[in-house]
Amino acid sequence: MDHRLRGGVGAPVIAPSYPLNKLLTAVARQHVSRDALGEEELAGHPLSPEESAALLAGDIDALYRLGANPYLIRRVFRGRFRI
Amino acid sequence: MAEIVAAALVSHAPLITGRPEVSRPEQRDRFYAGCHELGRRLRAARPDLIVMFVNDHLQNFPYSNMPAFCVGLAPAYDAPSPGGARLMRIPARTVPGQPAWALGLLEAGLAAGIDFAYSHEIESWDELSVPLHFLCPEGGVPVVPVYTNCAAPPLPAPRRCHEVGAFVGRFARSHAGPERIALVASGGISHWVGTPETGRINSDWDHMVLDAVGRGDAEPLGRLTHAEIERDGGNGGQEIRNWIALLGAVPGWKGEAIAYEPVAEWITGCAAVWVHP
Repeated sequence: MDHRLRGGVGAPVIAPSYPLNKLLTAVARQHVSRDALGEEELAGHPLSPEESAALLAGDIDALYRLGANPYLIRRVFRGRFRI
Repeated sequence: MAEIVAAALVSHAPLITGRPEVSRPEQRDRFYAGCHELGRRLRAARPDLIVMFVNDHLQNFPYSNMPAFCVGLAPAYDAPSPGGARLMRIPARTVPGQPAWALGLLEAGLAAGIDFAYSHEIESWDELSVPLHFLCPEGGVPVVPVYTNCAAPPLPAPRRCHEVGAFVGRFARSHAGPERIALVASGGISHWVGTPETGRINSDWDHMVLDAVGRGDAEPLGRLTHAEIERDGGNGGQEIRNWIALLGAVPGWKGEAIAYEPVAEWITGCAAVWVHP
C-alpha cells in the first residue's frame, strides 16, 4: 500500500496499481456484476499476493487500498455495495 | 459570428434514471423538475450544436492510454448504448455528432498549444446519456463532447481545465459553421463512488461550489487542488473540472441553481444550474 500525499494538503492519494486496473478494466467491459473473480481470470496477470487475495474475495475495501480505481471497483463488484 | 446561446451545469449518475424508485420522492421530483426546466430553456434557445464538457469513467480510455483532454470526432454517439440503456433504464439511441466542427476545434487547439487527444469512436455512458435524456429528449441537435480526465489520477489541474474551456469558448464564438451553440457540463458535485465511503455527499462543499458558480467566480474553483477536492468532494467531485471548463468558456456568466438535492441513494449531490450572462 502506497499512500502518497501530493500537494501537501487534503486526502491521501493512493498510487494506482496498473496490473489490478488492467484486469478490472477487462472485466468491467463484460458489463456483468461479479461477487468475486476466479483463479483462472487472474492467470498471467502480475498481481501481488494481496491483490490476488482481494480479487478472489471480492474485497472492495482492500481493492481500493491496493490501488484499484474506484469506478472499476464499482462497475465490477456492483453487488458488493450497500447502495 | 457564432453565439453561445445557452449554458448549463448538471450532475450525472447512472442511478438518476436507473433507480428512480430508491430516492425520496420529494428529492427526485425537485431534481427532475430542475432538469426538465434546463431542457425547456435549452430548447427555447434553439441551439444548432451542443458542446458538452464531460468525462469518461474508464469505459473508453484505459490505463494503457489516458488522455487529459479529448475531443470527440465521431459522426454519432450511442447515448446510451444498448448495454448502458439497461443500466440507466433509458432507451438506447444515437445522437448525431458534428465531426467537422470538432476537427476544427482539435486543429485550432493544437495550433494554439492546447494538446487535445481525439477519438473517432466513443461509447458514452451516463456523462452524455443522462443529461441529454432530460435536456435534449428529441436527440436531434448535434453534440461535440470534450472529455477531461476526472477519473484516473493524476488529473489535469483545475486551472488548466478553465483555460481549455476558455479556448473552447473563443473557438465557438469565432468559428464558421453552427451559429447558435449551447454548452453543457455534466458531473460533480460531491460524491464518493466505489470507495469505502460510497454514498457520502458533502453538502457544505456543494454549496461552496454553487455559491462560486452563482457569483460567476471560477477563481476559487480553479485554485482547488486534487487533494482538496478528494477530501471535500470525494473522488466523484473531481468531475467539477467539467464545470470549471464551462465557466471558462463564458467568463462572467453566473449560475442560477434551479435545483440542488443531495441524493444519497443515487450516490451524488445532484444540481441543475442554468448559466447566463
